[in-house]
Amino acid sequence: MNIAELSAYGYFALTIFLVIVLYGYIYHLYTKKRDVEGHDYEEYSNMALNDDIGSTPVKPLLRDKEN
Amino acid sequence: MENRPLEYDYTVAKMFMLTTIALGIVGMLIGVILAFELAFPSINTILGSGLAEYTNFSRLRPLHTDAVIFGFTLSGIFATWYYVGQRVLKVSMAESGLLMFIGKLHFLLYIVGVVAVVVSLLAGVTTSKEYAEFEWPIDIAIVVVWVLFGISIFGLIGIRREKSLYISVWYYIATFLGIAMLYLFNNMEVPTILATSPVGETAIGNWWHSVSMYAGTNDALVQWWYGHNAVAFGFTVPIVAIIYYFLPKESGQAIYSYKLSLLSFWGLMFVYLWAGGHHLLYSTVPDWMQTMGSIFSVILILPSWGSAINMLLTMKGEWQQVAASPLIKFMILGSTFYMFSTLEGPIQAIKSVNAIAHFTDWIVGHVHDGVLGWVGFMIMAALYHMAPRVFKREIYSKSLMAAQFWIQTLGVVLYFTSMWIAGITQGMMWRAHDEFGNLAYSFIDTVTVLHPYYAIRGVGGLLYLTGFLLFAYNIYKTWVSDKEVDAERLNQSPMGA
Amino acid sequence: MFHWLEKHPFFFAVGVFVAIAFAGLIEILPNFAQASRPVIGTAPYSTLELAGRNVYIKNSCNACHSQLIRPFKSETDRYGHYSLSGEYAYDRPFLWGSKRTGPDLMRVGNYRTTDWHENHMKNPAAVVPSSIMPAYSWLFTNKADIDTAYAEQLTVAQFFSVPYNKPVPMKDGLTKVVKMGKSVAEAHALALEEAKKVVADMKDQDVKDAVARGEIPEIVALIAYLNSLK
Repeated sequence: MNIAELSAYGYFALTIFLVIVLYGYIYHLYTKKRDVEGHDYEEYSNMALNDDIGSTPVKPLLRDKEN
Repeated sequence: MENRPLEYDYTVAKMFMLTTIALGIVGMLIGVILAFELAFPSINTILGSGLAEYTNFSRLRPLHTDAVIFGFTLSGIFATWYYVGQRVLKVSMAESGLLMFIGKLHFLLYIVGVVAVVVSLLAGVTTSKEYAEFEWPIDIAIVVVWVLFGISIFGLIGIRREKSLYISVWYYIATFLGIAMLYLFNNMEVPTILATSPVGETAIGNWWHSVSMYAGTNDALVQWWYGHNAVAFGFTVPIVAIIYYFLPKESGQAIYSYKLSLLSFWGLMFVYLWAGGHHLLYSTVPDWMQTMGSIFSVILILPSWGSAINMLLTMKGEWQQVAASPLIKFMILGSTFYMFSTLEGPIQAIKSVNAIAHFTDWIVGHVHDGVLGWVGFMIMAALYHMAPRVFKREIYSKSLMAAQFWIQTLGVVLYFTSMWIAGITQGMMWRAHDEFGNLAYSFIDTVTVLHPYYAIRGVGGLLYLTGFLLFAYNIYKTWVSDKEVDAERLNQSPMGA
Repeated sequence: MFHWLEKHPFFFAVGVFVAIAFAGLIEILPNFAQASRPVIGTAPYSTLELAGRNVYIKNSCNACHSQLIRPFKSETDRYGHYSLSGEYAYDRPFLWGSKRTGPDLMRVGNYRTTDWHENHMKNPAAVVPSSIMPAYSWLFTNKADIDTAYAEQLTVAQFFSVPYNKPVPMKDGLTKVVKMGKSVAEAHALALEEAKKVVADMKDQDVKDAVARGEIPEIVALIAYLNSLK
């Protein structure tokens, strides 16, 4: 088995792997409504709508902890 | 320090809005001149034969493409970043002296770069690689400008209040990374000033001249990997960033599906880069790469349409807004043209279609329905939405805006229909054989037949330019108006009659 | 689980970079060395030809003319044998072009002469009626940049081992040596010697006089380059 053949098998396996990842991702998005922190994905859309500097962030960054 | 509430600071956004409009006029004007030069060659010497060198089609052509790509579009991307970035991250540039300084420096160096590019291209200093014509000193300047843009993006992200990045920010980050990678690799070149002759002479010839690190087929491969993806990360990704913010904001409708935007984003990132090979079908690059380019171009329909459909569905139940607001009209037509050109592109990338389409005006038509219909419309819509908020004035005239919309739409339609016909006609005539197997047409036959289409295209371009001048006038009148609006509108931009 | 990246900009950027760099790694890298070997009969450009090539680039001839013959009967009938990868081995940059407003020029040296080019550049429509190509009058007065062409030769010889002053195999089984000067003065002398051969077939008296004085107008260099395209 030469290097070209090896890389061909490699690419094939990689393609299969990526297809599985892609469909897994689609399935995940399709079935789960919320992310791991309990936020409904669609809530993140509000970041564009309520974008005044005084608006409450959808998911605030806790600055105090960092300081 | 005065005691007033914190506000978003649009100083840098304003500067880039100005260059978007100015360079847009320059780039489009040159484009119209070029279009008419093809239809009526005597225009090549319009300023007399003494200056023919500088008004000639071939000398102006790179100036047109670079003025609209790196002038108009890039300025538009920067202007919208310095507006959208602050808003979706909920942090003002006024909060960081450093970022403000970087932003202004970014603008300043950008202007220096623009001047250098204009002068050098007019003088014929070019590397010949499309959209990467600049010689190495300008390349270095561009890298510096780009790094400053990167600092602006990541600096602002660093001090954000909103933990999660909004969709538009993903696309801006991708724009930054994509262009950085592509530009660096495509512009690898050796300055000839480094050479030493056998007798020891150094610094021979022009100091700015260079030779590409890659030769022949490799050079072509790298160039079209760049060329195709410069379109991706200059005309697609950042414009998608723009629409993901401005359409929901102007219409007051949340994005139809946040999940779909996630999927289309990662899909686009992964797939787009593979498709560069479709510029090299039937060339001397290996067959498997050509096939790969072809296949991935077709797959590319999925993530592109994912975003476009997401946009159109955002208007679900709110279609009366399209009729009511010319601003929404621009954005909806923009996303429709996006769908249209992301379907047309893959069709042209199919090998048997490409055999006819390649080297013809159909390709030029394809590029222009993307840039005029999608990029141009979206950037103008974004600036229209920004104007009342940045200048704190209502948009000068709604009816002027509507007139502009229809004039430009007509312009785009004339442009791409004439180029379709021209391209397919020419492609078919090149390959036509008579009953004895000889070529049916000499080359010049295939040129003269295009004259009417070139003229129509010129008119289409002129209409688009006219609309753009109306746009510039409308923004100018908005800026200098004395009617201040007291409070910022949440959604619909305020417009005068 | 999948929303983590959007909250962590650094890893998000890394993710994007991996996704976009992937295609380049797989498509571009493997064939790099293989694609750049010259075929027999391909020789490096002489100083004058290279200066002419730079005139071609300076005026963006590649905006309207391709140098890539695709493997179709209609193209080989019109322009000659289809292009081979190795024929471009000394092309830095490549000049394939992306639009044929005018015809392909890959093998224009096979079927056009010095005399034809001279007349055509002065007034294209006089040679090809209803041609839309503009006249290139300034090529007859501007001087070709031999210094830069020489610097370019030195650069490619030093950095990319382009075989100047070395025998290169030709199609007829013989070899050819493309000379490169040892100094700027010698490079000029070589270019001038070649320019005299080109100008012998030209009619423009001003160009002839200029070459006799030891100057090389751009048109002479450009024609030398176009004649070398075979």
